[in-house]
Amino acid sequence: MKLGFIGLGGMGQPMAGHLLAAGHQVTVWSRRPDSADSLLALGARRAANPLELAACCEMVCTNVTGNADVAGLAAQLLEGLAPDGIHVDFSTIAPSVARAIAARYEARDRHFVDAPVSGGTAGAQAATLAIMWGGKAALAARLDPLFRCLGKTIVRVGDAGAGQVAKTCNQLVMVAAIEACAEAARFAQAAGIDFARVRAATLGGSAGSRVLEFFGGKMVARHFAAGVQARLHHKDFAMVIDEATRMAVPLPVASAVMQQLDALMAAAWGTQDTSTLLRVLERSGRHSLAD
Amino acid sequence: MQIGFIGLGLMGRPMALHLAKDGHTLHLWARRPASLEPFQAVDARLHDSPAEVAKHAEVVFTMVADAPDVEAVALGETGIAAGARAGLIVVDMSTINPNAARQIGASLAAKGIEFVDAPVSGGEVGAINAALTIMVGARPEVFEKVKPLFEKMGKSVTLIGDIGAGQVAKACNQILTGVGVAALAEAFNFAAKNGVDTARVREALLGGFAYSRILENHGQRMLDRNFKPGFKAWMHQKDLRIVMEEAHRLGLMLPAAAATAQLFNAIVGSGMGEDDSIAALKLLEKLSTPQ
Repeated sequence: MKLGFIGLGGMGQPMAGHLLAAGHQVTVWSRRPDSADSLLALGARRAANPLELAACCEMVCTNVTGNADVAGLAAQLLEGLAPDGIHVDFSTIAPSVARAIAARYEARDRHFVDAPVSGGTAGAQAATLAIMWGGKAALAARLDPLFRCLGKTIVRVGDAGAGQVAKTCNQLVMVAAIEACAEAARFAQAAGIDFARVRAATLGGSAGSRVLEFFGGKMVARHFAAGVQARLHHKDFAMVIDEATRMAVPLPVASAVMQQLDALMAAAWGTQDTSTLLRVLERSGRHSLAD
Repeated sequence: MQIGFIGLGLMGRPMALHLAKDGHTLHLWARRPASLEPFQAVDARLHDSPAEVAKHAEVVFTMVADAPDVEAVALGETGIAAGARAGLIVVDMSTINPNAARQIGASLAAKGIEFVDAPVSGGEVGAINAALTIMVGARPEVFEKVKPLFEKMGKSVTLIGDIGAGQVAKACNQILTGVGVAALAEAFNFAAKNGVDTARVREALLGGFAYSRILENHGQRMLDRNFKPGFKAWMHQKDLRIVMEEAHRLGLMLPAAAATAQLFNAIVGSGMGEDDSIAALKLLEKLSTPQ
C-alpha cells in the first residue's frame, strides 16, 4: 500500500519503521528534514510538503502534538488526497476537534480516522500499542492490516471522535492512578514506612495495577527522568477539563489531578516523567523535602 | 450570678473577664495554674476540679480545644456532671463536631443538666472587645436564661436551633471562611504571577460583587505580609476536619471544602500552623515557583 507518514518523533519514527518493514511504500514529510534521515535509509521516500505527500498516497498517517497541529495538517492533506483517501491521525487531540475535521473530510468524500494510541515509546518500538479508533465501520477492512503492523490491541470504539473519547478516558484513569500512587508513596513516607515494601505488598492485592507497578517502581527508585513527559499529560488534562466543561460534566478527581499537574509545571518539571507528581507532594506538608 | 468558666486560654480569658466585670461571681478551674493569674483582681474563686466548679455554679461555660476535651470536662470522673445540681446549664463555646455536641447534650440531659452549644466567630480580638458572633443551639427557654450573659461577650447573638445547631452554623462559617481565604490567596497569587499589582486588584474588587470582609481584612493583611494570627492555620485545619468528618457521616459532597482542607493540611505540615490562615498565600507562592 502507498502510505504517508508525518510526525517523526519518539512515537512516529518506530511506527513508520514498522510500516516499511511490512513492505509498504512509505512517503514521509517532516518540518525538520533530518528527523526523516533514518527512515530514508530504510527505504522511505521524502515529499516536499504535505500536499505533495497526500497526492501520492492512498492513506496518510499523522502523529503530532496538539489540536492546532492536526487541524493545520488536515486542511492541507484534504487538498491532496484522492477521493476515498484516508487520513489516520494517531495524535491525542480533543474529540470535538477530531469530529469537526472528520465532517470536513466526509463532505469531500475523503475519510478522517482518529486513532490515538496508548503504550508510550516502548509500545511503539515493540509494535504492541493499544490503538483505539473512531470512524466509519466500513473502513475497518482497509485499516486493520495497517494497525496490525503497529499494535496488539486494536478496537474500533465508534464513529468519528470515539477514539479520542477513549483516549481521554485512558488518560483520566491512568494519570489519576499515578497521582493516587504518588499520594500513597507520600503517605507511607510520612508515616516512616518504606514505600518499596508497601508497593511489593499491595501489587498482589486489589490495588495492584500497571501504574502501581511501572510508575510506582519509578517512584521507589526515584527515576523521574522521562518516560512520558509530564507536560504531555498536562496538555491532555487541560483538554479533558475543557471538554468536560463544554459538556457540563463534573470531574472532581480529574480537576484535582489537574491542579497537581499545574503545580508540576510551575516547578519547571514538565520534561520529567509524570511520576514526578510525587515530588510535587513532597514540596509541602509535614516532613516536606527541603527546596 | 454564680458562673463557672473552664478553658481560660486566648479566647476564654477575656470572655470570662467580661462576665466578672458585669458583677457575676466566677468559679474557675484550670489545668495550668498560670492561666488563673489574670483573675486575682476580680471576684473569682478557684476550685480543684470541674465537679467542684459545678457544685457552686448556676451556669458553667467551657471554652476548650475539641470534642474529647469537652467530654472530659463535662462527663469525666471529676467532670461537671459529677458535681452538678439539677437544672445546671452547661454552655460549651468551643468549636466541636455538631454530632458530638448532640451526644454530650443527650448524656447531660439524662442527668437533668441542660446543655447549650454556642461556638463563636471573631477571634481573640472579638473576644477582647466583647464583639464576638455567637451561634447558639439550645432549647428556647434555656437560651433566654443565658442570653444576657452572651450579650456581655458578643455583639451578634443568634439562636440557630436545637442542640448542635450552633455547631452546624459554625461549621458553615468555617466552610465559608476557609474556602474564602483559599480563594483570596489563589486570586492574589494569580494577579502577582501575571505581574499585576495586587493592591490595585483588591481596591477594584472591593467595589464589586467579589466584595467580602475577607477580601477587605485578610486581603489587607496579605498585602502587608502580616502573617501574625488572627486565627491560626492549625485551628482552621481542625475546624475543616470537623466539617469533613460530618460530611462523611452524612454522605455529603463538599468538593471545595475538601480541597481547602487539603490545603490547610499542607500549610500546617509545612510548619506554618501557628501563622494566620492567610499563610495559604505563602504556601501557594512557594508551590508556584521552580524548586
